[in-house]
Amino acid sequence: MEAQQLTTLTGVIDKKMNRQLKQYMDICARCAICKDACHQYVGTGDFTYLPARRAELIRQIYKKYFDKAGRFVPALYEARDPDENLLDELYESTYACTGCRRCMYYCPFSIDTAWILSVAKAILIAAGRGNEMLGQLADAAIFKGDNAAMFEGVMLSGFEDISEEVRAITGNPEHQVHVNKEGADILYVALAGAHSIRPAAVIFEEAGESWTISMFEAANYGYFYGDAEKARLITKRYIDEAKRLGVKEIVVPECGHAYRVAEIFYEAWSGEPMPFKVSHILEKVDEYIKAGRITVDRDKIDGTVTYHDPCQIGRNGGVFDAPRDIVRAVTSRFVELTPNREQQWCCGGGGGIVAMEEFKDVRLKSGGKKVEQLKASGASVLACPCENCRLQIEELNEVHGLGLEVWQVIDLVVAAMPFKATPEADAATM
Amino acid sequence: MDTYLWITSVAGVYVAGVVFVAGIGWRIYEWATTPKSPVRLGMFPKPATTGGRVAKMLTDTLVAPHAARIEPRMWFFAMMFHVAALAAFVGHLRIVQEYPLLPDLLGAEGMNAFAAWAGGIAGTLMMIAVLYWIGRRTFGPFKNLSVPEDYLLLALLLGVIIMGNHMRFFGHVHAAEYREWFQSLLAFRPHVPDAISNSNVGWSLGTHMLFVNALLIYFPFSKLVHTIGSFAANYARSE
Ligand code: HEM
Ligand code: SF4
Ligand code: SF4
Repeated sequence: MEAQQLTTLTGVIDKKMNRQLKQYMDICARCAICKDACHQYVGTGDFTYLPARRAELIRQIYKKYFDKAGRFVPALYEARDPDENLLDELYESTYACTGCRRCMYYCPFSIDTAWILSVAKAILIAAGRGNEMLGQLADAAIFKGDNAAMFEGVMLSGFEDISEEVRAITGNPEHQVHVNKEGADILYVALAGAHSIRPAAVIFEEAGESWTISMFEAANYGYFYGDAEKARLITKRYIDEAKRLGVKEIVVPECGHAYRVAEIFYEAWSGEPMPFKVSHILEKVDEYIKAGRITVDRDKIDGTVTYHDPCQIGRNGGVFDAPRDIVRAVTSRFVELTPNREQQWCCGGGGGIVAMEEFKDVRLKSGGKKVEQLKASGASVLACPCENCRLQIEELNEVHGLGLEVWQVIDLVVAAMPFKATPEADAATM
Repeated sequence: MDTYLWITSVAGVYVAGVVFVAGIGWRIYEWATTPKSPVRLGMFPKPATTGGRVAKMLTDTLVAPHAARIEPRMWFFAMMFHVAALAAFVGHLRIVQEYPLLPDLLGAEGMNAFAAWAGGIAGTLMMIAVLYWIGRRTFGPFKNLSVPEDYLLLALLLGVIIMGNHMRFFGHVHAAEYREWFQSLLAFRPHVPDAISNSNVGWSLGTHMLFVNALLIYFPFSKLVHTIGSFAANYARSE
């Protein structure tokens, strides 16, 4: 292959090299114990999606250019150049990966295949083969950060509309979505869309929280795209805002990766420690319920309720109990999916895959395990925090005719809260 | 015979020993001098204390409970191999230095009978496990994932084990003679006792050592460095 391109691509590996990655490259036994951990491999039976195979493509380049034995006898490792053939397969296996890290959970050496694939994404981007859709969404988010004033009018009138809805729900004329409130305790970084702001605002206001809304979204397509610099710039938008407003804490919405980005990745991308406490909104809601700052009536919701652990919140974020305690507070008919918590099956919708039409087929097939689990639980209501999980499960729900109601957890909470307002107002929360 | 034994069981052992030790040293140096991942790679639930993390790392590495849950059969054979390999390793220490206590308890005859049984069982279990691994790599996704390195290692292992078992099951040479040979190597005054070279297993010792040397030489440059790396990687899981 062309020398210039080769230097560029191997340069990416060189730059990204670190101790853990090197060990992952050196020690994998190719035992394929990880194979049945991956919902995509299980759902499709396609070798491209076998976790160790995805990593093996990077290992083949590593062996050829970074490993003495591999340079000496490349054939022993099937070491090869990052040529077009390799990049084709790499694109498919890398951007399809939802980053759920279920393979890492079961690997006897805890090899983090998703972390290896973050190098794969960097290589693809350097080769001009980054996923276009994710790249565009990331650039749009950065553009918004650079031109905040341009968007301010629209944002403010949107928040005003949501404030109206909040007042209609709670019946309290003073309730509102706080904007640009200096000295607030909490900066709530929501997702684009009223559904992520309205119920949160209801809860914050009822709890008497000192909070303010961010002008930016917590979603980070730079992270999905695989460009650490873009991802950093997108996160920095609300970090700067939090500094300007002087808040104490950043609260991220139900979205899965937002929490991990703020709590775990930002530090690595920016080289500075995260200057704020980061909480997941469900941790706050759980606190409010336990402290009696908000009240929820049990069993206002019909049917048996189950809970799906989004990978980035559960296994990769460590928030297991808060959402369960919340769900148990609003219903006495709670059942677990099996397996659950850190062994929970990925639904198949993570890692930005729902935004990439080209992966629709594998995405739907990869939901097979989740469908089985949901059916076996006998539940009619699913509490599901992450936006990507919800999009995927709603689609599975339709395709497989599961007849499931899929709810955000904060919507369940709002539906269970007693308000001064009329019962019709409750309907507005749905 | 003498030339063959001199190459494989004297010169070869020295070469393999040097390459193995230097290679492992180099591998650890490479790992140690590469900066840590900037991102904490741990997953949850994570033990809160360093002691807890070390305990979890040791359990994950030595017992592999998660692998047991997802592929019990593979876990069984892998456990069988690794435990038998450990037992075989411990058994081999007898040719460096006879154990204290045990021979006194069992008597010279009893000790040899015990070693024959224990070694025979370990050798057989290892052979079964390696044959299972080879078989597993001949079909489907396991075959597709395998590279020549995997087969080379398994072939070397099989060679080591078969020749070891041959000495164990068909030879009449006991530990004392092997100890004489091995201690002469350690003292850098190598000689192979006539009791070995004139026996029916002289050539099997030579071939056993041929495979052992090849395995040891290749070890630091192969995936077998999981021997050390698995502890570090499993620790990163809790960071
Ligand atoms: C201590 C933690 C260890 C763990 C968790 C571990 C785990 C594994 C696993 C999962 C395999 C894959 C089997 C396959 O090939 O499909 C394997 C293979 C192997 N391990 Fe270990 N191992 C450990 C230590 C060791 C040690 C100390 C040795 C030293 C003799 C060793 C030697 C081997 C060999 C020779 C293989 C076969 C390689 C092959 O399949 O080609 N392992 N090990
Ligand atoms: S389970 Fe781990 S060691 Fe085995 S093939 Fe998969 S990544 Fe490699
Ligand atoms: S992180 Fe998840 S999707 Fe990616 S390879 Fe591992 S199990 Fe499969």
